[in-house]
Amino acid sequence: MTAAAIELRNLNKSFGLAKIIQDVNLEIKKGERHAIIGPNGAGKSTLFNLITGKYAPTTGQVLLHGQDVSGKKPFEINRMGLSRSFQITNIFHRMTVFENVRCGLLWSMGYKYSFWTMVNRQKELTRRTDEILEQINLTKRRDMLAGALAYAEQRALEIGITIAGGADIIMLDEPCAGMSMSETDLIVDLIRKVTESKTLVVVEHDMGVIFDLADRISVLVYGEIIETDTPERVRASKAVQEAYLGTTLEEAS
Amino acid sequence: MSTPSTNPLTAGTSRLIPLNHALPWIIAAVVLLLLPVIFESRGALTIMNQMAITIVFALAYNMLLGQGGMLSFGHAVYMGLGGFFSMHVLNWMSDDPWLPLPVLPIFGGFFGLLFAFLIGWFSTRRAGTTFAMISLGVGQLVASMSIIIVTFFGGEEGISGDRTEMLPFFGWDFGQQQEVYYLTSVWLLIAALGMYLYSRTPMGRLANAVRDNEERAEFLGYSQRNVRWISFCASGFFAGIAGALFAINFEILTGENLNLATSGQILLVTFLGGVGFFIGPIIGAIVFTLLQTVLSLHSEIWALYVGILFVATVMFFPFGLTGLLALHVLPWKLGKIGYLVKPYAKMAIPGLVFVLSSAAVLEILFHARHAGRGDNEMTIYWWLTFDSHSPLPMIIGLVLAGVSAYALVKLVPGLKAAWDEATKMGEAGK
Repeated sequence: MTAAAIELRNLNKSFGLAKIIQDVNLEIKKGERHAIIGPNGAGKSTLFNLITGKYAPTTGQVLLHGQDVSGKKPFEINRMGLSRSFQITNIFHRMTVFENVRCGLLWSMGYKYSFWTMVNRQKELTRRTDEILEQINLTKRRDMLAGALAYAEQRALEIGITIAGGADIIMLDEPCAGMSMSETDLIVDLIRKVTESKTLVVVEHDMGVIFDLADRISVLVYGEIIETDTPERVRASKAVQEAYLGTTLEEAS
Repeated sequence: MSTPSTNPLTAGTSRLIPLNHALPWIIAAVVLLLLPVIFESRGALTIMNQMAITIVFALAYNMLLGQGGMLSFGHAVYMGLGGFFSMHVLNWMSDDPWLPLPVLPIFGGFFGLLFAFLIGWFSTRRAGTTFAMISLGVGQLVASMSIIIVTFFGGEEGISGDRTEMLPFFGWDFGQQQEVYYLTSVWLLIAALGMYLYSRTPMGRLANAVRDNEERAEFLGYSQRNVRWISFCASGFFAGIAGALFAINFEILTGENLNLATSGQILLVTFLGGVGFFIGPIIGAIVFTLLQTVLSLHSEIWALYVGILFVATVMFFPFGLTGLLALHVLPWKLGKIGYLVKPYAKMAIPGLVFVLSSAAVLEILFHARHAGRGDNEMTIYWWLTFDSHSPLPMIIGLVLAGVSAYALVKLVPGLKAAWDEATKMGEAGK
């Protein structure tokens, strides 16, 4: 039996007295598209930050491909094949779009902390950077400063940087936050395209996006996962409806 | 004028000035070769050498500040230690030399690197205020060491040496100032080119990435601490080279080379020139050295003028003198630089009057308070002689300054309008 891509075992996180994540157990299989939903303040972002290494768990374990990564630093977790995006756009503002994506490629292409190669002369690096720009439809913006992009383009760039390194687990934190309907459709198509055959974990508020994209959904309420199932069953679940979805379910679908 | 600046400025930051061709380097080499033909006096050579040393140091400093986003208040430590160590190597070799003088900066560089490695181990763990505070503490620590560890630092007198005692280099023993000039210039070119190329490597780009967004860099597989540490070591290396060049030029190092004043000065130089540009520190170092050497011959309060210039730069042109120049790139590219000639010309005379009259007021004030008793006569601008204690010159100075300032303020809207016109992207597909 192959190990799950991500496995959470009795995961707990407290800040002072506040218990934000309580006894979370979750298994996300390789190649699965998994969504985490929940009302505001349910601890979605905290859970995300626990998996990606921004926070260390108070108790419990996070396993990637069967390996315990609890307490590891973000860069170490990234090197194990997990890459994430951010809810608040987190790009390199004073660098060009091209350079932003290239930064995402450097480690995976083995450049490490090299200071003896000229970065502009690396043909393969440039080619792959351009390839990703093509995928995220930002080829036209190649030499613009990232900080000067429109918001939706910055979100696309965010995803481009995230997938550049070729990680096989992609975690997206509210990739559609603050976008219009049409922009959302575009970005969902993009996500589907660039995460093909990868494990995807996405936290999202937009119900439409989730039900459409995810194989399975976990519902997080007050730091606990109350249900993990297929979109249809989550939609039908009484407990979920009471705890979270309520009437908004009908509006969303 | 400072606000609508984002376009050309930021464009400059990302590309670090399009220097990607060899041409600017060839021009620089030719200029360095020819300068002593034009300025052949010993004094001029000394000033140019000092300029070269400051350029290397400021460029090294900007590897931290501009490229890595690390504000250091103690970078004199690495230049100073590189210098002290070079001086010891020089003295140690003087009895039985087996190396020529031009290789000495390599020793300085490696000593700077060694110390940056050791101190960077703990100081680069965090960026921002923590880094700045640690750099300040370390700066103070090493500066006070210079009085305590007398065998290495020579106490109050410092340590000195004789550069001519190393092996001659193709017949040069570096007794001549001009020989030292060429040695310094060659090292200036090597160091500047080295730092420029470094900025084009993955490491150089990662330093930018960590500067812009350390968290994101971390999630791309890079330890922000290691990126800062390596940048810090590289900066220490080049600062050490500057220190060795100082040792060669002045043949003496004292505690002053390590203290906070020197550290603060290089921050000022770099910021004055503009931290967002590769050539920023070069321009800053040239302007500052000129002020320090030439202006100080004519005015005892030159440091005050430098201070005012610095404050004005920080307030009005946060991208430094280079940023100010870079602002004009966009109108130039749009072919509209001509729009600016007239408003600039209009402002030239009131501007000049304002600078000269306010400086005169400061000079009169200084003379009246500090000249010896009975020495009331003072001369400014070579031909203007008057009694500094009489109120009339002071009143004239203040009135001129006030009137010219008023004229300048009145002319600002005109300049703004011209500026808007000159930077407008052609709407009709121009």
